[in-house]
Amino acid sequence: MDITSLGGNLLGTIPLGDIVLYLTPFHLFMFAVVLIFTFLIAISRTETQVEAEFGTLKENKVSIGLAEFKVRRFLAIICGLATAGAMITGDLFNLTLFIALIGIVNVGIVSAVKQVDVLDAAYQYGIMAMISSLPLFGGASIILAATGTLSLFVISGLVATPMMIFGAILLLIGVAGETGIAPFFATKAEMFRTPGSPFLLIIHLSSLMVIIRVIEVLLIIVT
Amino acid sequence: MVTLVPEVVPAITASLYLPALYVAILIGFIGLTGIAIQKRDIHILILTDLVGLAMLIVVAAVGTDLAEALILPGLVVELAEIMAISEILISREMRKAENSVPKDRTITEKPSVFPLPLSLDMEIMKTAPNFIALVMILFGAFLTGFTGGAVAGGGILFYMMCKKARGLPVFVVEGIGAISGISWCLWIVGFVLFFLAPQYWLLSLFMAACGLVLKVASKLGLIGSILTEEYRRE
Repeated sequence: MDITSLGGNLLGTIPLGDIVLYLTPFHLFMFAVVLIFTFLIAISRTETQVEAEFGTLKENKVSIGLAEFKVRRFLAIICGLATAGAMITGDLFNLTLFIALIGIVNVGIVSAVKQVDVLDAAYQYGIMAMISSLPLFGGASIILAATGTLSLFVISGLVATPMMIFGAILLLIGVAGETGIAPFFATKAEMFRTPGSPFLLIIHLSSLMVIIRVIEVLLIIVT
Repeated sequence: MVTLVPEVVPAITASLYLPALYVAILIGFIGLTGIAIQKRDIHILILTDLVGLAMLIVVAAVGTDLAEALILPGLVVELAEIMAISEILISREMRKAENSVPKDRTITEKPSVFPLPLSLDMEIMKTAPNFIALVMILFGAFLTGFTGGAVAGGGILFYMMCKKARGLPVFVVEGIGAISGISWCLWIVGFVLFFLAPQYWLLSLFMAACGLVLKVASKLGLIGSILTEEYRRE
């Protein structure tokens, strides 16, 4: 599909040799949203989590130390920046790498928790993220083999071949596993019990934004 | 229309793409089957790495410069993920061991991995560490580039593990870090010079290669100097 019908008017291109990056209002809007959210996370100080207790009207406060909090906030900022990068890149290769980075950092955000259940869930999610790097990178490299380029600007002008569609399907599976959306969400659900709410919001937000962007990319490749 | 395969590539090389792809998919399938069968966490982790290797085969099958540029990040992602997950596994097992019931009761759930201090007791580590480290560093300097740095760094790492370098003073660690940083700058400057002044390509090539070899070697050495504290803890 033509990129201008998906993302609005073409604001400009950044030619970097073979790889041509391009800017549309859609990408810039998503980029700005993610950056604003990352900034909010960077300045927020919510290290306490309030849990409702089952069976009573009381509530349970769980808080974490400042050192652990700092590390996790740093990882959350990295996750936000990676998401912002995935929003604006016009290169399949960079998109793949940013998504892989989001997968690793999501594991890292919850890895310092002192609860066995949460660590268990993080382990399962990490295994899923590692397995799904096969379809993720495999899909990108199959599209590279089928078209000879990784630039979405160039790919949008090509007619889709069965191999490109196969690569796009693999890419979708890889992104689904890496960001933990619908079929793999069960691996991630337990991770949300960890204290420190803004970090969990960035996990949610990154998977949401990335899936919107990836659907756009898949439409560019397939149609 | 883009021509996918250039004229200079022989037909047999181009025809190898599909077999490589099938092999990779087969390896991935075998790995996933293994993961489905295995029940111990550590085995699942190792089999997951097998699936990651299948990913590298898929990327490597393309065989162009762009694919080569994809392989290295893919490898790094794979390494980072396996290190992160194994750390999670270890920390979970330690926490389980802390929270477990006392020994006189029946232990219902055994920990999957035991985090033990690593004690290496090999003959070669007492008799020939100097020689092997020297050979590896010299060979690394001869190779230059990323590979050479890795070989030389491996030599430094091996020497530090053999010689029980314990309690290194802070300025040594910081000095190794400084070498790493400065050689990183050398590498970057070499690359920039490539684009700005292509006629000095030999100079920039050597700057980049030497910067990279120093950087990787010192980084591995740095890891060694930090890790020896952990390794020697009995």
